[in-house]
Amino acid sequence: MGVSYLAVGWNRQKKIYDWFIFAFCVLYLSTFIAITAISNPDYTFETALIRSTATLAILLLHVILSIGPLTRINKKFLPLLYNRRHLGVTMFTIALIHGSFSILQFHALGNVNPFVSLFTANTQYNSVSKFPFQALGFFALVIFFLMAITSHDFWLHTLSPKIWKTLHLFVYLAYFLVIMHVMLGVVQYETNPVLFVMVLAGAAALITLHLVAGTREVRKDNQLFKLKSEGFVYVCESRDVPDNCAKIFCIDKERIALFRFEDKLYAIHNVCKHQGGPLGEGQIIDGCITCPWHGYQYLPQNGQSPLPFKEKVNTYHVKVAGSQVWLNPQPLPEGTERPGAAIIIPDNQIIENVK
Amino acid sequence: MNIAMIITIILILIVTYLLCGLLFAIPFVIKGVNRIDETAHGGSIGFRIIIIPGVMVFWPLLLKKWMKK
Repeated sequence: MGVSYLAVGWNRQKKIYDWFIFAFCVLYLSTFIAITAISNPDYTFETALIRSTATLAILLLHVILSIGPLTRINKKFLPLLYNRRHLGVTMFTIALIHGSFSILQFHALGNVNPFVSLFTANTQYNSVSKFPFQALGFFALVIFFLMAITSHDFWLHTLSPKIWKTLHLFVYLAYFLVIMHVMLGVVQYETNPVLFVMVLAGAAALITLHLVAGTREVRKDNQLFKLKSEGFVYVCESRDVPDNCAKIFCIDKERIALFRFEDKLYAIHNVCKHQGGPLGEGQIIDGCITCPWHGYQYLPQNGQSPLPFKEKVNTYHVKVAGSQVWLNPQPLPEGTERPGAAIIIPDNQIIENVK
Repeated sequence: MNIAMIITIILILIVTYLLCGLLFAIPFVIKGVNRIDETAHGGSIGFRIIIIPGVMVFWPLLLKKWMKK
């Protein structure tokens, strides 16, 4: 979130994160190359580099695709989500090194254009055991390239969040291409099944994570709210909403985040204006509801971003009756100010707190 | 026409498209970007450089937006 664009939106936490990624990548590559040099002295440096960058890029891709479902299962993973774009660009850079050196090593030494050679050196597209797997990797790299070059917020605004999100969902197609690239490559060149098993295990873990997170979401969305009164529906008990955090309710197919802040309850639309992040999975930081994805902020009382920012989300009426919390799912216009519903704290709890 | 020739033609078309994008990117990152997105006013040089690859790819869309403004 910034008044005017910078190349990279670094803060202290993101710098630490990026340094950690950088150190990990350097350590991984140097260890891999050193082990290859010792165990396979016949391999050239280029071969070791191609293999090390390939495995590192696949590892990072699995981490990237795990972050989304992991944060839905456990909020402790949220710091990883804040910086996912940096990890994505890092993964693309590593994959680009792998792709460039592969084309240099396998296609740039003849008198045919390397890119033409990539698609014509092997044309056995109807064979599994001899399939030209390099082409699959190339197309995956093209998708990662499009994602990396549009990772800046400028592109989100220019292309619109819907198109931007759709473009970036192509990561799943790229992942499939990468898996096929590895599998078909392994079939042709590898006798050791370890890589094959690791990739299969990674894919199985990813699918399981997505299924678990997705099932939870569906269960939440299908929750029925039967008690209704004058347009309000009973959603929960006031003690169910943790301080400075939210509970998300899906009423009439709209997700609403109910936040508790200074013993008052506020409801806003759950979808962040920046990239559609789930606001209800974020926290209140410095008096502002903070999106868990990229830190966009909104004031709980009116759903507006603090000045000079201009983002606004819908707000909703909330009322508290005894310990019961009632929510009106009819959205108020974006940025509408309304008072928070004061939580009635039972006398015994006040006595407990004083003690 | 064989497959190598088809791929060569596709490559030439892609490179031409990207070169047009590069030519477009120069005035766009200096002036055009400020016209189509007010947050770009006062944007750093780093920001203007970092969007160049994307401008090379999406230049027809950006040109249309710039023309409308």
